[in-house]
Amino acid sequence: MAKHIMCLTVNGDLHEFAVDDTDTLLDVIRNQVGFTGTKRGCTTGSCGVCTINNDRGESILACLTHALEWNGEAITTIEGLEANSELDAIQAAFVEFGAVQCGFCTPGVIMSAKALLNKYPNPTEEQINEGMAGVLCRCTGHIKVKEAIRNDFRLRQAKSGVRR
Amino acid sequence: MIKNIDASVVGTRQPRLDGPEKVSGRALFTDDVRPAGMLHGKILRSRYKHARILKLDTSKAERLPGVKAVITAVDATGIYATQNEPAICGDVTRYIGEELAAVAAIDEATAAKALELIDVEYEVLPSVTTIKESLEPGAAQVDPGIPGNIVSDNTDSYGETDEAFAHADLVFEDKFVTRPTHNLFAEYHVCVADFSRPDKLDIWTPTQTAYLFQHSFARSFKLSLNQVRIVHLHTGGAFSGRGSVRPHHYIAALLSRKAQRPVKVFSSGDEEFLICRTLGDNEYKLRTAVNRDGIVKAIDVEATLDGGGQGHALGYFGWMVGLCMSWIMDLEGIRFRRQVVLTNQRPNYLGHGGMMIGTNAGLMQQLQRIAATLNMDPVDLLLKNAIEAGHHGMTGEHFASCGLKECLEKVRDASGWKDKYGKLPKWHGIGVSMGSMAAGARGAFKHDTSAAMVKVGEDGLVTVYTGIPDMGQGTHTTMAIIAAEVLGIRAQNVQVVAGDTDITPVDVGAFAQRGTIMTGNAVKNAATEAREQLAKNAAEYLGVAEADLEFAGGHIYVSGSEIDLSVQGDDSILPGTRSAKNAEANQAAVASSTESDGKPTSVSFAKIAYGSLHSKEGRFVMGRGFYTTPVDFGTAAWSFGAQIAEVKVDPETGEVNVLKVWVAHDCGRAINPLAIEGQIDGQVYSAMSQVLYEECETDEGQYLNPSRLEYKMPRTYEMPDVEYFIVESNDPYGPFGAKEVGEGPIVVAGGAIAAAVSNAIDAFLPEIPMTPYKVWREITKNEKRRRGEAA
Amino acid sequence: MLLPEHAYHQPASLAECLDALVRLDAGRAKDDERLAKVQVVAGGTDVIFNMRLRLFQPENLVSIRRLPELQKIEQLADGGLRIGAACRLVDIADSPVIHKRFPALKDAIDAIASVHIRNIGTLGGNICLETRCWYTNNSAEWRNGREGCFKTDCEQCHVIPSSHVCHAINNADSPLALIVLNAVLTIQSAAGSRELPIADFYNKDGIAHMALEAGELVTHVTIPPCEDRSVFIKFTPRKGMDFSLGAVAARCGGSGEQASDVSVVIGSVSSAPIILDEPARILEREGLGDAAIDNAVERIRDEMGEVTNLYARATYKKQITKVLVRRALVALREH
Repeated sequence: MAKHIMCLTVNGDLHEFAVDDTDTLLDVIRNQVGFTGTKRGCTTGSCGVCTINNDRGESILACLTHALEWNGEAITTIEGLEANSELDAIQAAFVEFGAVQCGFCTPGVIMSAKALLNKYPNPTEEQINEGMAGVLCRCTGHIKVKEAIRNDFRLRQAKSGVRR
Repeated sequence: MIKNIDASVVGTRQPRLDGPEKVSGRALFTDDVRPAGMLHGKILRSRYKHARILKLDTSKAERLPGVKAVITAVDATGIYATQNEPAICGDVTRYIGEELAAVAAIDEATAAKALELIDVEYEVLPSVTTIKESLEPGAAQVDPGIPGNIVSDNTDSYGETDEAFAHADLVFEDKFVTRPTHNLFAEYHVCVADFSRPDKLDIWTPTQTAYLFQHSFARSFKLSLNQVRIVHLHTGGAFSGRGSVRPHHYIAALLSRKAQRPVKVFSSGDEEFLICRTLGDNEYKLRTAVNRDGIVKAIDVEATLDGGGQGHALGYFGWMVGLCMSWIMDLEGIRFRRQVVLTNQRPNYLGHGGMMIGTNAGLMQQLQRIAATLNMDPVDLLLKNAIEAGHHGMTGEHFASCGLKECLEKVRDASGWKDKYGKLPKWHGIGVSMGSMAAGARGAFKHDTSAAMVKVGEDGLVTVYTGIPDMGQGTHTTMAIIAAEVLGIRAQNVQVVAGDTDITPVDVGAFAQRGTIMTGNAVKNAATEAREQLAKNAAEYLGVAEADLEFAGGHIYVSGSEIDLSVQGDDSILPGTRSAKNAEANQAAVASSTESDGKPTSVSFAKIAYGSLHSKEGRFVMGRGFYTTPVDFGTAAWSFGAQIAEVKVDPETGEVNVLKVWVAHDCGRAINPLAIEGQIDGQVYSAMSQVLYEECETDEGQYLNPSRLEYKMPRTYEMPDVEYFIVESNDPYGPFGAKEVGEGPIVVAGGAIAAAVSNAIDAFLPEIPMTPYKVWREITKNEKRRRGEAA
Repeated sequence: MLLPEHAYHQPASLAECLDALVRLDAGRAKDDERLAKVQVVAGGTDVIFNMRLRLFQPENLVSIRRLPELQKIEQLADGGLRIGAACRLVDIADSPVIHKRFPALKDAIDAIASVHIRNIGTLGGNICLETRCWYTNNSAEWRNGREGCFKTDCEQCHVIPSSHVCHAINNADSPLALIVLNAVLTIQSAAGSRELPIADFYNKDGIAHMALEAGELVTHVTIPPCEDRSVFIKFTPRKGMDFSLGAVAARCGGSGEQASDVSVVIGSVSSAPIILDEPARILEREGLGDAAIDNAVERIRDEMGEVTNLYARATYKKQITKVLVRRALVALREH
């Protein structure tokens, strides 16, 4: 079957490549763009290790969507969170609060957390539970993951020096 | 003495050093690896649970363009995954999913297509899928060499069990079963093999033990140890599931050898559930002899374990399961019989927590009910029986350190047990549990050694070389902390090189909870040797004897003198290093290091390191160390713990809501409290998951729910609050007194949650997991029984 | 579990899409939907999942995700609502007007899978969710381990061996709420358009479970104005991810214990949602007091029909459904 040319903005950079009809967004991120932070797991939408953010900063499972659907769109992967060689506040919180152990689910968990915090910067327990229920973390049991998320707002405030 | 700052490293909350690379997506796992020319391998698996392979024709697959190698049992002659288990099945397949052939192709789609072109003709044979069926007289034989389908029947007996039972006031008996599980790590099974040269095999794979993997490959392929290189990058969780080489590893190597190119084999979807080796259906009968005063005299366990199609390794670990119970109480006798039975199911082994979550769940339910019968508080019963430091165990163990009672008291007080037990509203329950776990397991293999190397760079930065994998438990950061403490520097100035057997020294691996104590001691010894080399140079520089030197806060100083770290600046001095901006401050500090009578009394660690390497003799600083347990068999150290769990049950649906778990664990010494809490979290989670959720539903030798969706593991909503108490009993063998925390808490948690549910519904739950349906079923049975009794 | 070979089409308009559905399906071997050569995909979370399992392998996928005609949540003059089939579940759940006026729908959508799925999954996709069974919703290799069944072109059912029909379960959540809210579907094809109450859309057939002909597409959902109390609850082994073992949507007029025009629909126990009749009539006659609710709940058993052991024991599923209905009715009363 003939390939199609598509373009995709990843972490702010415009990429152009040839894809098959059957390629998923996960395939192109890992194999074409070459970012391996987004992981291949269950490929059926229940483990969440393939989570990226769309252009609205919402969590999307890259394994369950065709690459061609994203022609002309923009996404953010885990590699795109840091800026000027500095970790994003949520990434730093994950390290500080021990929310990372084996690290395999971590990119997907952090992108899910980032999406959650985009929508609710100071989330309630219910919002955290709901936003993170789509990813699995066997090592932490989600406990310190939730703690890192709870502390993100406070850390951002401290960093920006703004007290509301 | 260091003023103004607490310079100790051990005991501080140290975020893991590989955290930044993991949160930024830089950390590489095996699926991210792509050696040049890599092919994709796929495995053809048996579709029947018991069948003779009459014909296996791969000719069409071989001719498919893009296919570079096809292998069958003929290519794998002499290659065994475990004792009698060929890597590729040739004649009779004994379980659905057994490996029959494999292909390597230029892409996955071609490999998948090639599999479809392999013609297999089966002759279906009679089969057995449950222990019951398997043991029936005249049952189909899974292995013609194993009559009666009983692989092994071992009994370990210590002390005077029968006598204790004969003389005890009361004997309690309960039967319970546990169901098949999956270790459920996030990283799916994967292996990349490069066997394109005849004298070197490179393997990339997540593992708990590069060392044992190396041995297995070397033996199978008749290579020497150094001709096998295991690269384990980062390992995405293991949970007892990555301790041995499996067929898919060998298949990747065989495909690579035949294709003369690297090959990746990635297990997808439900394939995971076929190839993992965890718990199967296990049945237990637990008898406990106890006196009216609450002293437990003896325990007698009979277990029948479903080994699946290949049950050989299973019988071995039974001994520890039984002994586990004897490590926490001063028993007169303990007996543990386990019969391993073959069935035409997936081969089974151990799960996360061995099989001790199940046994502890049974034991703690039982002890709580024994306490009720004796009108005793269960915590008091456990306290009455709990061993103390100095106790001698049934196989000659000497428990040099033990904080078990302290753990029980801490959770009792923190949870408000006395105000809750027996006083909670209906359908609320509270349960207590205790447990112990060995740190290390000599006798499991030829030796239990860890070795380490510590290199000190001219910039004062240190590298630790270790062969132990870090599969999330934080071992590498722990090793950095230990080295840093010995050398008196910050853990952030230590990098850990691991994950490549070409580079790292021997280490038996990360299992049997040996990491902290064995590898930790090896690193400690290696760092000590490096420190001695530096001490020699520092002593010359400061004009004192080596014995008068202390290492702390990035400095080496004369004992008894004071240094004020607040003016010392960073501890590396070369421009262009991490602390280049502090280099100036450092120069000034070095120049004006604390003086006494005109002689310096301290010098920065980095300066001495630099001086050594740039000396006329070029004195490199490199320490080596190794450690093995001082006892002949087993280990010399055990962790202990106690937990209390509080739950609420919905009687109409049987749902269990775990409200809170209080955890106290004696890990000897908290090298990194942050990591210990993380371990406790993950184990409370895993225990809760196994006791309340995880179950492979089976039908005729097939799992009906082999997916992350239908195989249930709790998620965010289900998690309880956890409160931690770290008890430090300062073990004489462990590095800085540390023992283990890698598997102790999970066993205890399983017991606490099970006991709490049992308390909530006032019944012994005989099946684990206690899913809502089963809890509801027990509640309904109970109500009927009560109504019947009342009538 | 790779995706099977297929061509991926992205029509620019609804008209183009409807034409494609006819054109691409030409030459289909039998009038059997399992052999369709074309499949519609919106968010992809159900279709891609099932294609990885090789439950169906259409030669063509036609994406409706970005069709401009299907994107709106439109407030109608009479106070009703018209929702395009390609509207994302997250956007519907976040819509304040839905929260205020159609709480059962908001609750149902909030309960679908996870946030990740709802960020791309659509209302149309949920309405047209495939039925499920653990004998088929596993990989092709898994299914090789036993004989086929009705869904895979073999004349038997593994769930009930003596059965002549497929018992795969309809687990979709939004239809239950939409049924009690009297929603109407707009179904379009290249030949024209028709309206169908969603209550009539489902067949008790695990295979042909929707009243949808070849070439037809659900394009809009119209919900009439509603001032009534409504509720949706479901029971899952874990919150925030799972398909349910039981679910109920209920609506009624009146307030407090007084109830008029009661509608109660149960799901996840059969191949189609079950609209309870006698229980609803009892409540209309007797109100929402405890005794009336008990009475109504007792009658559920008669209308549930055969409940299988699929995904959980039948006795347990019946218990769950009864418990959920009671809790839903109490919630209505206390609204």
